[in-house]
Amino acid sequence: MEERENLIRILSESRQAIKDHDLVKLKELSNQTVHSASIASDTDSILVAVIIYSLGKIIERTTEYGSKECGSICKFSITELQKAESALNKNDEATFKESLESIMVFVGKSSPDLKKDVQDILRKASVNKAAKIYEHGISMEQTAKLLGISMYELASYAGQKGSANVPLAKTQSVKDRVNLAMEMFK
Amino acid sequence: MKDKAIIFDSGSLISLSMAGLFDELVGLKKIFKGKFLITKEIKGEIIDKPMNIKKFELEAIRLKELLDVGILEMPSSLKIDDKEITRRTYEILQIANTTFKGRDRDIHLIDLGESSGLALSQILTEQGMTNVLAVDERTTRMLCEKPENLRKLMEGKLHTSIIAKKENYKYFENFQFIRSTELMYVAYKKGLVESKDPKLLDALLYALKFKGAAISDEEISEIKRMG
Repeated sequence: MEERENLIRILSESRQAIKDHDLVKLKELSNQTVHSASIASDTDSILVAVIIYSLGKIIERTTEYGSKECGSICKFSITELQKAESALNKNDEATFKESLESIMVFVGKSSPDLKKDVQDILRKASVNKAAKIYEHGISMEQTAKLLGISMYELASYAGQKGSANVPLAKTQSVKDRVNLAMEMFK
Repeated sequence: MKDKAIIFDSGSLISLSMAGLFDELVGLKKIFKGKFLITKEIKGEIIDKPMNIKKFELEAIRLKELLDVGILEMPSSLKIDDKEITRRTYEILQIANTTFKGRDRDIHLIDLGESSGLALSQILTEQGMTNVLAVDERTTRMLCEKPENLRKLMEGKLHTSIIAKKENYKYFENFQFIRSTELMYVAYKKGLVESKDPKLLDALLYALKFKGAAISDEEISEIKRMG
């Protein structure tokens, strides 16, 4: 229930962020869904996170720097996000998913140059969201499974994010762990 | 029966694979008086699934070769029944994934591969075999070594209260962990890495960190000070 209300708010604010051409806000909204995804393994939150993040990247690529005009992709996205929001309000899971997925289909159709990139953008968005969920304390395997990505992709991306530099992540002294390894090879 | 085993999690083998350190792993196996083990669930993650992903097919083939030549072995090589591992795997999953609650929901922390490694370790310990888990990802390690740290980390990141079923903590107390970084430190100390470059240790540890080994810059500095 709480997750659904949160998603409705995020979809609504995302529409406004697209209208305002506020890409920073879109990224921030995408990250907000990560909390629900981590706690509840909530696939709806994950789908919203990936689509909103990808949309930000696509708008960034398709509009000229400084331009406030986003064109047909933005218009279509705003309409579909509205549909997804209404569907969530009615507990209509199928329409909710269809609306979100139709955004990426439209992007592929509307720009031949982007068509080949859409899968790549979605993939990278999934890896990015997975790394966020892993940072939140969910294991690497569980996170990779949630996002439908391979552990190879997640490991190398997460390795560059510095999540191990958090002091709480140090759970044993370096000396003890090294000694344990050395002891095994005696 | 050989009296020692290192149980590899997916992450540690992925780090070693992507950092190109299989020769060193083979070198370590030659001097190890025991077995390098993986479970069938871990094999699924590092060999079977990526075998169908073009981007990681080569890594999967190389890991399969390590299994084919006996550098890595399955628990059946110790006559351990897969059914028993599976039974315990699900028991561990159930306990691990009901240890923390947020917003009134159990948090699904770990998955099959990770818990199968713990299950195998538990069985070997009961049989009196010295064993450690080589795990590069931090969640499983934190759950076993400092579960309160994991609770605090999640609470901070998720901005919500995380309630722990503390009676579960003791279930995870008796596992021992190393990472791919400690393994490569051993390889370095034993002269198994072919380079005389003074920055070699630094390079090895950072290569593994950037491929997914959860080790902090501070911990790397400490290892380097040990020389």
